[in-house]
Amino acid sequence: MKYSPLEILLGLIKTTILLISLEVFSSAVLPALGIIDFKPAFNVLIVLYLAFKIESPILPFLILYFQYMHSIFSIEGWATGTFTGILISISVRFVKDMLSFNSAVSTIIVVQIFQIAWFILVSLLLSMKLGDFSHFFGIFWKYLPESFVLSLISHHFFKLLDSFWIVNKKSSGATL
Amino acid sequence: MKNLNFDSSRWKLLFNVIVGAYALYGFAVQDYKVSNTSLFKSVLMEVLAPIQRGTLSFKEQVSSTIDHYFLIVNTSKENTELKKEVKTLENRIFSLSEVKKENQRLKQLLEFGREIPRKKVLAQVVSWDSSNGFKVLRINKGKNSGLKEMSPVITMTGLVGYVYRLSANYADILTILDQNNRVDSIVAETRTHGIVEGESGFKCHLKYVNRTEKLELGYEIITAGLGEIYPKGIKVGKITKIDKENFGITQRVEITPSVNFHKLEEVVVLIEEDTKLSSFISDQKDEK
Repeated sequence: MKYSPLEILLGLIKTTILLISLEVFSSAVLPALGIIDFKPAFNVLIVLYLAFKIESPILPFLILYFQYMHSIFSIEGWATGTFTGILISISVRFVKDMLSFNSAVSTIIVVQIFQIAWFILVSLLLSMKLGDFSHFFGIFWKYLPESFVLSLISHHFFKLLDSFWIVNKKSSGATL
Repeated sequence: MKNLNFDSSRWKLLFNVIVGAYALYGFAVQDYKVSNTSLFKSVLMEVLAPIQRGTLSFKEQVSSTIDHYFLIVNTSKENTELKKEVKTLENRIFSLSEVKKENQRLKQLLEFGREIPRKKVLAQVVSWDSSNGFKVLRINKGKNSGLKEMSPVITMTGLVGYVYRLSANYADILTILDQNNRVDSIVAETRTHGIVEGESGFKCHLKYVNRTEKLELGYEIITAGLGEIYPKGIKVGKITKIDKENFGITQRVEITPSVNFHKLEEVVVLIEEDTKLSSFISDQKDEK
């Protein structure tokens, strides 16, 4: 699957606008409605999509870019998510043949599994850095409902991103 | 158009290694106590934070419209003009009462901090951190208003946190609910020392309290004034749960913060004008 620079630029711009809108939704719209304890991590969904569907060698740079954009809205920073995203994208390569995104159910299950893997990796990194593992389960129980919501919307979300990154056209072997 | 032709697995491996190593380095040097905001990130914050701020204004306008327009649509035709006038007046009263309430809140905030010998800057909460793992909020004041990194942030009910990162007109506050924020504190009634640390569920806990210390529910926790960040005597919260295990040398003390973070609208940033704070920050950076 090859991308021209223009295709990458367009995909990048569209996905950036989507990410910024969703980050504003999480950080400002939900708190304005009084919901400050429920913030779905849309950046994770975008990075997972890239890891699942974009086979370009510049994938690590795309992950780095989207995590950097996320760090404008969160003190989590870009580094943890980038490192985790790269590990996930490498592991996806080994299990790619087993992954299916044809139905909503299979997409939901795959996304949920990888979100949990993402959480475990990020939490381990943060806990090691802080030298404190006591918060792991407390945060995990809060992360689960948010990850369920993201998994539920993932099928349609991925379809939207497919249109941004012209994935179906690329998979069907169309020349660009 | 020519395609990007880096298809060999060697390129993939090389890029993964380069970005992975860079991310690992970035993670290693990242400090969860205080952050140096790069110029590029600062510019992005300045550009994107007004969108977050605009969301709040939009919500207020929608609420006002729902309250003052949709609820009075059933008025009779002959009173249209009169109703219009009433609506205008109602809107004005509503605006004035909101301004009055805001003024009262701000006045109370300023009076609350009168005894604290620091410059005070009032700020409005614009948004929260987009990750649930971090309890950070963004305010609409930054370097241009004289804010400095690690300046304490309070409300009239108690301690909110400290300034974690800054841009020209916005600042991120690491609240006491965040596990990376540790506050040197004392129990007001017994003068027992401990460290307040955030935990999930909008609660904190007081760590390193000897299990022989006699604490009771409802005891008040205040800042100890150690650690160079928070002034002494600011309310942190109240003890709401005490767990004493049969083993160990400490007891687990849960604290409910004095500040209602669900309804936080305005805060006061306390800025120390002498060089003590800035020298502490530079020391921190030197250590890094």
